[in-house]
Amino acid sequence: MSSHREAPEIAKDPVADGTDTYAFVSPDDPDTVTLVANFIPLQQPNGGPNFYEFGDDVRYEIHVSNRGKGESDIVYRFKFRTEVLDDGTFLYNTGPINDIDDPTWNRPQFYSVTRLKDGRSTVLGENLRVPPVNVGKRSTPNYARLSQQAIHEIGRGRKVFAGQRADAFHVDLGSVFDLGGLRPFNSAHAFPLANMDGINSVQSYNVHTIALQVPIRQLTRNRTRPRDVNDRAAVIGVWATASRRTSRIFDPAQGKYVAHGPWEQVSRLGNPLFNEVLVPMAEKDRWNAREPRGDRRYARYVDRPELQGLLPALYPGVFPRLAAYDKPRADLNAILLTGIPEGVVDGFQNYTGPVESDMLRLNVAVPPSDDPRDLGLVGGDAAGFPNGRRINDDVVTIELRAIAGQTIPLVDPSYRPDEAASAVTDGTSNTNAAVTGAFPYLGLPGGGYQTEPGTTQAS
Amino acid sequence: MSDTSRRKFIAATGAGVAGTVAVGGTAHAAATPRSGRAQESVVAYVADHGSSEVRLLVGEREVVLQDRDLVTRILNAAGGR
Repeated sequence: MSSHREAPEIAKDPVADGTDTYAFVSPDDPDTVTLVANFIPLQQPNGGPNFYEFGDDVRYEIHVSNRGKGESDIVYRFKFRTEVLDDGTFLYNTGPINDIDDPTWNRPQFYSVTRLKDGRSTVLGENLRVPPVNVGKRSTPNYARLSQQAIHEIGRGRKVFAGQRADAFHVDLGSVFDLGGLRPFNSAHAFPLANMDGINSVQSYNVHTIALQVPIRQLTRNRTRPRDVNDRAAVIGVWATASRRTSRIFDPAQGKYVAHGPWEQVSRLGNPLFNEVLVPMAEKDRWNAREPRGDRRYARYVDRPELQGLLPALYPGVFPRLAAYDKPRADLNAILLTGIPEGVVDGFQNYTGPVESDMLRLNVAVPPSDDPRDLGLVGGDAAGFPNGRRINDDVVTIELRAIAGQTIPLVDPSYRPDEAASAVTDGTSNTNAAVTGAFPYLGLPGGGYQTEPGTTQAS
Repeated sequence: MSDTSRRKFIAATGAGVAGTVAVGGTAHAAATPRSGRAQESVVAYVADHGSSEVRLLVGEREVVLQDRDLVTRILNAAGGR
């Protein structure tokens, strides 16, 4: 998945596990950018009695780089605090929760937002309320109301939301991780099965979202609102992280862990699928602990991706030109590590300079699309991935096709992609909850009462 | 680093060590608490028993000491002998 459980260590620590990062010019407020970081993957909505929540012992951050060095020029930091109102009950809620501050919610959560810039720390908001999770029809009868109450204005045109949402990512995990199976092309696989549509493995699961909307002027290096796509200052890099304290010791007297020492990064996410399918398993945990500015050490996995070799092996005879292509993948390097320089795609660039670093790169001078296409830039829509990433962008298909060779001609016009390169897909469609069209955009989370278990078969 | 001396470290961790494993008395003189000492729980981490480095984790800080004698005494204590 984009980054759900993508590395061995973080797979054991879901509360700190970043799943997806998004950055896009807000379609309903185009002088702002919306930054979204999702955490805590694959939440069953009915996961009570101790429902999912942000970690009070985790430091969540969204980073913005605007000087082309792959470094954090602006950091938005989120810290959470949980209260128990009635310690004499086991209940998450003691009655219907009609408003976000109802005392019937026995375990309310609050957070602060701090901006770090130029060595200065500014608290933008404190004691901001998180909404409860969507427990069900009796407990959270009007979830849209709770969600709306959890959108907080935090000054200078900024707004923030932190709470449970429906996951917007779609992918066929069951097939992709079963020896690279793409169900629509099952019959061409080295271990053939009948062709069929893809199955969206993430459908009906929730995540925890941190969403921040910020005026563009507060994010660019020169505090302007660029209109020229070729303006170097128009491109910002974005990624999200989670950090934990160096040491955690279980204190039996308290029945919980106590933490000591400085914060250390345990999760990182810029471009979708980077750590997931490009970085070898043995290096994934260290990758999560590092900053983008040092990503040159991972460039070889981008320039010669393992998946490029696997596709022709798993689908014999389908990717002959890809199999024969022996040059470093300068197209993938540009898309994922430096941004696309001016002159490669007509009327577009998101180049941040030669420092190889995994970040979403958003050119804020590209206005929101009137006709958004889920395939983003390769689909002719420069407002979408890899120009930042919108909620609905089909990043699995985009990256599959890119690795399959569809984007090689951008940098090597002599290369003619295999016919399959422009057709390859995991076969899933976006069957997740519909986006809302307004901040924080992700769909409302599925309710526990409303959830029905899926099916499973051993053979 | 300058705010944490070896003596202060011993003072801060002695009770915890004694509460976990019975260890013999020390030949060193009793430490004198200073006004700037840590007054919260502290974790001492010797990552490499062959080195002189002790990392003290206190609050949101880390204090790194280079003190082979201290490392040896911690290793002796950790051995329970």
